[in-house]
Amino acid sequence: MAKLANRVLFWIIIGVIIVYLLFPFYWAVNSSLKNENQLMMTPTTFVPRDPVTKELSPTLDNYRAVFQSDQFIRGLRNSAIVASAATLLSLAIGLFAAFALGKLRFKGKTSALYIILSMTMFPQVTILSGLYVVITGLGLTAIPGMVLSYLIFTLPFTVWVLTSFFRDLPVELMQAAQVDGATSFQTFRLILLPLTAPALVTTGLLAFIAAWNEYLFALTFTAIEPASRTVPVAIALFPALVARQEPFGEIMAAAVVVTIPIVVLVLIFQRRIVAGLTAGAIKG
Amino acid sequence: MMFKKNTGSKLLQREQRLAYLLLLPTFLVLIVVALYPLGLVFVTSFTDRTFASPREPNYVGFNNYAQLLSMTIRELPPLIDEETGLQAVDQKTGEPLYERPLRVLPREPRRYREVSQFSFFGKRYVLGASDPDFIKAVWDTLVFTVISVLLETILGLGIALVVNSPFKGRGVMRAAMLVPWAVITVVSARMWQWMLAPTRVGVINVILQGLGLGDGNIAFLSQPEWQLPALIMVDVWKTTPFMALLLLAGLQLIPNELYEAARVDGAGSFRQFISITMPLLRPTMAVALVFRTLDALRVFDLFQVMLAQSRYSMASYNYYQLIGNRAMGQASAIGVIIFIFIFIFAVAYIRLLGVKTD
Repeated sequence: MAKLANRVLFWIIIGVIIVYLLFPFYWAVNSSLKNENQLMMTPTTFVPRDPVTKELSPTLDNYRAVFQSDQFIRGLRNSAIVASAATLLSLAIGLFAAFALGKLRFKGKTSALYIILSMTMFPQVTILSGLYVVITGLGLTAIPGMVLSYLIFTLPFTVWVLTSFFRDLPVELMQAAQVDGATSFQTFRLILLPLTAPALVTTGLLAFIAAWNEYLFALTFTAIEPASRTVPVAIALFPALVARQEPFGEIMAAAVVVTIPIVVLVLIFQRRIVAGLTAGAIKG
Repeated sequence: MMFKKNTGSKLLQREQRLAYLLLLPTFLVLIVVALYPLGLVFVTSFTDRTFASPREPNYVGFNNYAQLLSMTIRELPPLIDEETGLQAVDQKTGEPLYERPLRVLPREPRRYREVSQFSFFGKRYVLGASDPDFIKAVWDTLVFTVISVLLETILGLGIALVVNSPFKGRGVMRAAMLVPWAVITVVSARMWQWMLAPTRVGVINVILQGLGLGDGNIAFLSQPEWQLPALIMVDVWKTTPFMALLLLAGLQLIPNELYEAARVDGAGSFRQFISITMPLLRPTMAVALVFRTLDALRVFDLFQVMLAQSRYSMASYNYYQLIGNRAMGQASAIGVIIFIFIFIFAVAYIRLLGVKTD
């Protein structure tokens, strides 16, 4: 009997945790399927209902509006460009550094590692004004400016995770190549690089999500260039069609649209993401 | 460690040169996007430079810092009722009345305004600052950080312990844990903003009212006493799963034999938790705490989206000073202060918890 009670309690706890984790997302979906009148019903309804007949009546109007909104579509495009470019750049640059830090012997390795690690904790807001000066000084527009500034968090992260990955690769592999007369660089290109492909995917995905998420730099650097706004900025500044009334139906539809692809990606790469996150943090 | 068999010094030199070459691009980028801007911010913080303006900046020394950080505590003398010669009291509430802070706080060399009042040994004091908004932002950021990290750790540990026990559907559970983490912070701020709507169109008000709490019209985001709890709730929702995943990974590193041995010795589950789980989880928890704390200290998105200019975090205050007021010199000084703040926190944490960085 006690055992059964324990089981029931256990599943109740699991249920509560799942509801807690997923409810806000359910609420966004629910609200995105309501029209203006349904959103303003009091008390609010847990499924879209007709205000008069109380029957179930979801609408897709918000989704139509969102996909017709220039600002949102442009935001998606800008975000995709900026996040992919920042990710690819940091993978390309970081891979070399990670190989050196994970597998080569040189003076000052520990300090180099410390510098990279401290960079992952860098308060980005500190350098907001300085970075603005750098970007205008280089004559960059908002999009390349964002790509460059996102490297401040994607690059140290990439280097850190990939370093721990390289460190774990067996030394014998490289010794064998060495015996065959390969140079360090050949070993890297022919033996290690193919092995790193899975780690690159994980690290890249995590860096991509971080860049996709970024708001502070995007908000600041697109302030005078609204056409370059990314998704987070577009959603934060979603235009109100009716004065003073924020269009929460459309905002929720936009929220669902941008969240679903990321959630699907995350679920596909679940195991690797958890491994990557813990490699980034736990091996620290 | 590698190339053990033929460690010629020439080979070693070549390896070293290659390493430096490979590190060069990373460090160049970090100089351009981090160190150089940091230097610029440091220099600018000693000037009165204006944002996006051609005006030549002047060197103002530590003026920006003094303006941001100057604080003073003054005693508020009681208001004396002319007729009775006793301290005047409020007609409605019966509270004793004191002099208005405005008349007590100094105006030279800079004007102080009230941050808060407090009583101490029967006397009334006022805390004044030349930039009360910044002082409040620092305080609010600290409160936000301490409470949300504490809650996240406790909840995260709880969830990790539950998910760590083998059961059917553990994979689904783990997947569900990744959802809040995957939602863009701005999007989650907007989602919660809508759920926290100040009337019964907001689901939180409806649920609370259903539970017999509140009148269904709690303005979570505009009533000062609700603002921080509301933001902490959102942050806890968003980052607890991440904490739980880290702790879960740590739990799985603990060998099962330890628990078996403890069971043989007759230790109950609470005893096992205290003497096995906690000590062995400590390193993981320390790292997770450092990451989360430093992250919470630089919180921007939640404050900017949900509270705009009604209440600031350190980072959102910096942003509004730079973009709203175009006070670049002052914003830079705020940036430097945040940097020092986070640096001190990081060092203290690492010392305190004994995090190993190698």
